Amino acid sequence: MARMKFLCDADRCIECNACVTACKNENDVPWGINRRRVVTINDGKPGERSISMACMHCTDAPCAAVCPVDCFYTTADAVVLHSKDLCIGCGYCFYACPFGAPQYPKVGNFGSRGKMDKCTFCAGGPEVDLSPAEFQKYGSNRLAEGKLPLCAEMCSTKSLLAGDGEIIAQIYKERVVKRGYGSGAWGWQTAYKETIAI
Amino acid sequence: MTTTVHHDAWETTMSKTTQSGKPAVDRRSFFKALGAGATLAATPAMVTPAAAVDPGKEETKARYRESAHVKEFYRSNRY
Repeated sequence: MARMKFLCDADRCIECNACVTACKNENDVPWGINRRRVVTINDGKPGERSISMACMHCTDAPCAAVCPVDCFYTTADAVVLHSKDLCIGCGYCFYACPFGAPQYPKVGNFGSRGKMDKCTFCAGGPEVDLSPAEFQKYGSNRLAEGKLPLCAEMCSTKSLLAGDGEIIAQIYKERVVKRGYGSGAWGWQTAYKETIAI
Repeated sequence: MTTTVHHDAWETTMSKTTQSGKPAVDRRSFFKALGAGATLAATPAMVTPAAAVDPGKEETKARYRESAHVKEFYRSNRY
């Protein structure tokens, strides 16, 4: 059985934020929430690196482990989803997640967070596939349409990979073998000179 | 200076007396009676089973399939 995974090739990411925009548009993500974000380290300095981050759909997801109402579940293709009908907006998953994936729409005053929202790997939620209710709560269900998450599909530099973990890992290995990695990569010394290590 | 406070509602409730001359609801047992009522009212809600998510086969089935669209994605990412 295929296991769905994201893989961001940091050597290719140019921090264009197209994945972030595509995700928000495709899933009609509420105001103030970014299911996907581009994180940049050493911004503006030699050795700058960007990586696109969202829910990594962990095998043993810590968000699911701490949820007091047990609203998370994992599908047969290893996508971690949750039920917004059960979520009480306690925020435990936000603190447990090492990637900052769960977010809250802040629907009211007095500290109420509203229902948690996170990346669904464009796989919808527990509602009927491709139904209006599913789209309204969780966004589009591209997997049911035979497609992959839009963030990866529209990445202009093919930095963000999504799909069957074994296949995208193989694609990444082929890239590394061909181009090298870090200082061994084509064009590295032109861009960063010899003095900068990975 | 002495301040006089009138509790009209309280007086109305407590002024209802029984045949023996005692108040219908004793001042010291007022909240006790209130609590017992609340407990009885809440009992059916507690009997209701907890509704933790119990996704069936339909919700957890694999939606990914290696369609022509997906194969094209893999092919275009190989270079």
